[in-house]
Order: sequence, then C-alpha cells, then structure tokens
Amino acid sequence: MDFSSLNPAEQAHMTKIIEKKQMQDFMRMYSNIVERCFTSCCNDFTSKTLSSKEEGCVSNCTDKWLKHSERVGARFAEQNAEAMNAASK
Amino acid sequence: MSLFGGRSPQPTGSINPERVEMALQELDMITDVFNKLVSSCHAKCINTRYAEGDLNKGESVCIDRCVSKFFEVNKKVGEKLQALGAGAAASPGGGSSFGSF
Repeated sequence: MDFSSLNPAEQAHMTKIIEKKQMQDFMRMYSNIVERCFTSCCNDFTSKTLSSKEEGCVSNCTDKWLKHSERVGARFAEQNAEAMNAASK
Repeated sequence: MSLFGGRSPQPTGSINPERVEMALQELDMITDVFNKLVSSCHAKCINTRYAEGDLNKGESVCIDRCVSKFFEVNKKVGEKLQALGAGAAASPGGGSSFGSF
C-alpha cells in the first residue's frame, strides 16, 4: 500500500497499527485453518484421537492452505500493481 | 521513548486523525477483499480430499484465473457503483464518498 501521502508521524502511527493488525490476522488465520481442516478432515468420532489418515489430511490441509494463500497473495500483488499503474496513467 | 526530549514520541509532524482514518479504512478494505478472495478461491479451486500438501497443476491454474476473475468482478462492480455515485453527485445536494476509489 502507498502511505507516501502521510507525514512521518502518521506513517509511524500507521506502522504501529499495522503491526497490531498483523498479529490479529495471524490469530484469525490460525483459527480459520483449524476450523477448515477440522471440518474437512474429521468426520469419524468413533475414536477420540486423530487417526493417521486424519492426521495426514490435517497436515496436507494446512500446507495446502498456506500455499494457496501465498499464491493468491502473489497474484493479488501483481493485479494490484497493474491496477495502480493503470490508474496513474 | 523520545530521542529529542520532546513530549511526543512521534517523529516530525503532527498526526492528522482524518488522514490516518482514511488510510486505515483503505487498509481495512484491502484486507477484507484479500481475505474474501482467499476463501472464495479456496472454496472454488481446492479439492477437500487433501491427498497431498502441495497445490497440483490444476489447482494452481485455477487459483491464478480465480484471482484474475475476482479482480475483474471487483472492477465491474466498482464501475457500477461509481456511476451510481456520479449520478448522485450530479443531482443537487448529492455529495458522494464513492468516487474516490
């Protein structure tokens, strides 16, 4: 994002707020992945521990989510840069 | 912690709450769009069998197209709303805050 229109004091203030938001985002992502992978992977409640199949599923689900959001983030940044360029022309 | 002995912990300049508020709103909007994008493309592209931890070829291509399409939809809706805002602004007394993005 472009905060160049803000003065140094405002930028410092923004940085602090952004850091706080990043922490919140991380916690939200955590609970989001737990919910998602639990829902997708755990449907059998004849045992109280994860079966090896469920464990593998959870592991794949988490890996995949992280890779997914990484890829989306990369494409998002590209598209955003493109849109910015188009707007500034 | 002030290096210059001043009362304010901030570097030079004073904080204009309005500008900070605007920047925050923009940040929140982008974060919101991004989170929606991640979850809708996940729902559309990712197989929930989770046989492997990597994105396969099909999923990767799907994600790329999904993001691109999402942006197009975003743009289209933005244009529609902007037109709406412009219409409202043209009518007397219809100041709009939509025009800025």
